[in-house]
Amino acid sequence: MPVKNRFAELQNEITEWRRDIHENPEILFETHRTSALVAEKLKEFGCDEIVTGIGRTGVVGVIKGKSDTSGKVIGLRADMDALPIHEQTGLDYASKTANAMHACGHDGHTAMLLGAAKYLSETRNFDGTVVVIFQPAEEGGGGGKEMCDDGMMDRWNIQEVYGMHNWPGKPIGSFAIRSGAFFAATDTFDITFEGRGGHAAKPHETIDTTVMTAQAVLALQTIASRNADPVDRVVVSVTSFETSSKAFNVIPQRVQIKGTVRTMSKEMRDLAETRIKEICAGVAATYGGSADVTYNRGYPVMVNHEEQTEFAAKVASDISGSCDEAPLVMGGEDFAYLLEERPGAYILVGNGDSADVHHPEYNFNDEAIPAGCSWWAGIVEQRMPAA
Amino acid sequence: MPVKNRIADLHEEVADWRRDIHENPEILYETHRTSALVADKLKSFGCDEVVTGLGRTGVVGVIKGRSDTQGRAIGLRADMDALPMQEQTGLPHASKTDGAMHACGHDGHTAMLLGAAKYLSETRNFDGTAVVIFQPAEEGGNGAEAMCKDGLMERFGIDEVYAIHNYPGLELGKFAVRPGPILASVDEFTLILQGRGGHAAKPQETVDTTVMMSHIICALQSVVARNVDPVLQGVLSVTSAETSSKAFNVIPDRAEVRGTVRTHSPEARALIPERIKEIADGIAATFGGSADLSFHLGVPVTINDDTAADFARLAAEIVSGEGACEGADVSMGGEDFSFMLQERPGAMIQLGNGPSAGLHHPEYDFNDEAIPTGISWFAEMIEQRMPVA
Repeated sequence: MPVKNRFAELQNEITEWRRDIHENPEILFETHRTSALVAEKLKEFGCDEIVTGIGRTGVVGVIKGKSDTSGKVIGLRADMDALPIHEQTGLDYASKTANAMHACGHDGHTAMLLGAAKYLSETRNFDGTVVVIFQPAEEGGGGGKEMCDDGMMDRWNIQEVYGMHNWPGKPIGSFAIRSGAFFAATDTFDITFEGRGGHAAKPHETIDTTVMTAQAVLALQTIASRNADPVDRVVVSVTSFETSSKAFNVIPQRVQIKGTVRTMSKEMRDLAETRIKEICAGVAATYGGSADVTYNRGYPVMVNHEEQTEFAAKVASDISGSCDEAPLVMGGEDFAYLLEERPGAYILVGNGDSADVHHPEYNFNDEAIPAGCSWWAGIVEQRMPAA
Repeated sequence: MPVKNRIADLHEEVADWRRDIHENPEILYETHRTSALVADKLKSFGCDEVVTGLGRTGVVGVIKGRSDTQGRAIGLRADMDALPMQEQTGLPHASKTDGAMHACGHDGHTAMLLGAAKYLSETRNFDGTAVVIFQPAEEGGNGAEAMCKDGLMERFGIDEVYAIHNYPGLELGKFAVRPGPILASVDEFTLILQGRGGHAAKPQETVDTTVMMSHIICALQSVVARNVDPVLQGVLSVTSAETSSKAFNVIPDRAEVRGTVRTHSPEARALIPERIKEIADGIAATFGGSADLSFHLGVPVTINDDTAADFARLAAEIVSGEGACEGADVSMGGEDFSFMLQERPGAMIQLGNGPSAGLHHPEYDFNDEAIPTGISWFAEMIEQRMPVA
């Protein structure tokens, strides 16, 4: 049986929630309205426990199964925050807030998990406990990490966690997943090279910071080409280059470069950071200057656990007949922190031929709701089957 | 005899003019007050002809010698403009205008040439014509070029041109000159590089402009190292580099590079922009991007004529004694007198300003003690180069 009948019935109601959230996007940890709406719905569904204020504006709902002989607790997670993008969809329910938009489908993720919570509260057809997790600040704020830091896993004794992301370009009702490293670690670097500025006509009295920095930018290319194991993945992009002076006749004292590093393993991530520091210090020393490297670690590599991934794929196959092998994604995902704390898996659900995520014309496809909700319910009912 | 008695007598008066000009600095072509003051003085000295409005605010005075058997005319040039700087000398005659200052001694150059014009108008002790040229906009405005374009050389039949620049650090009363190149050509360039922007995590979908730019900056170092004849001299400096985006997660689609080129030979000056274009186009093509070079020609190389430089040295030694004129160093600075030297043979000489602050420094001041020496040199150039029969 593909989609559960109950979700076909609930689709209109869930779609209304989704569009309401879409119309009222909130950024980072400022998900006050959305969090209140989620908490209210969970109460209305008859969840056994509802806790707000985990990870600042995160919300947790606890739903007990009809029995608990297994003692198992599974966490299902959705993200609630929007992006600082100005919506250009022209939809009836387009964002009412300038420069805020649900351009990554978190409105859909939240609505689908609410739908699953409603169904699970009604049916309780499992042996154990479900914890539904609604996090703020997935987009660059580390909201998932804050919820973990607030003791979420231990407080509810969560043993496994599952997450889902809609995927533009993938047919509605279809799924894709991969075991192991899935989404990249996303780090940034900010480097200031310092030479000795001076008059452009007297290069011999200066240490030309611009030449030094250009050499360093070129040398950084060898991290991907020469340092990385060819079967490993790494992106080092220098995205900004700026001399401290813009004049035609002054050799600038300083140059600032910025960029990002994306890696798929802890080892590669450590290597990239080490090599960036060594290359910049080495090139600067070659010319008699200095390099001040700030390396900011963002989200870690998101690694799906093998056993949970296989199980998640099986649940997806039951719904849509098959589950594809997902590609590696060089973007980052905050769910990585939850997967560092507990085994689990993250799956992609088709969003059809929509604009890409983070595009001002993107919209979550409400036709994906039954498949998504069914997967949540399937995870719970099959992982903790009623006796 | 070093300084002429009459010129020693003029010292205080010329110093007064100098301080008056110093107190009222004017920038680029806006030398209205200074030009009017110069024209008034020239008229009061009894110049035979005073013409204003050449090169917008330039002034020319014509002084005929007591005879003119050879039909020769020699041009003596001073610059009148100040710099857009805030003066910090604390002097009684400091600039009264905010953000303008005579920090390059053009006040002194103008005052000395006025002193020479007064002396020459009084004495007329030469066979030919002296043309005193006061130009605006030496500092980045190509005022000399503007005066030449207005027909300065042809209109007054000028055969040779001479000029003085004061030189901080050179002993008061001393001179320095050299034949051939003495100051550099100064040109500027802007390179707009275009790649294909995109997400920093998807480099394969982009043409990374930053990497392309870095290759170009590095390859440009080979122009002076490998392309310019080592005997010639040149400097190519990239002074500014900026990507079109400052974000951490976007590969920018454009970058702008700026720089300057200085040379001491017309050959190197012609070669360098060609190589910049070839390197930028070649590397851009290698990466699938494009490069657009704008090359702005500034002042040409200042080249002293060999014979004229010898005469300049001779006049300096008459004024200050044998051994008082050193061989000048070649400077990588620029000077727009070079435009006049492209049109006529001549020379620029350096005049000691003593241990003053450097040129273009907010504490710099022209040293009035140099005045008699400078005026005497102008006078000797005319009297020695066009002696009375």
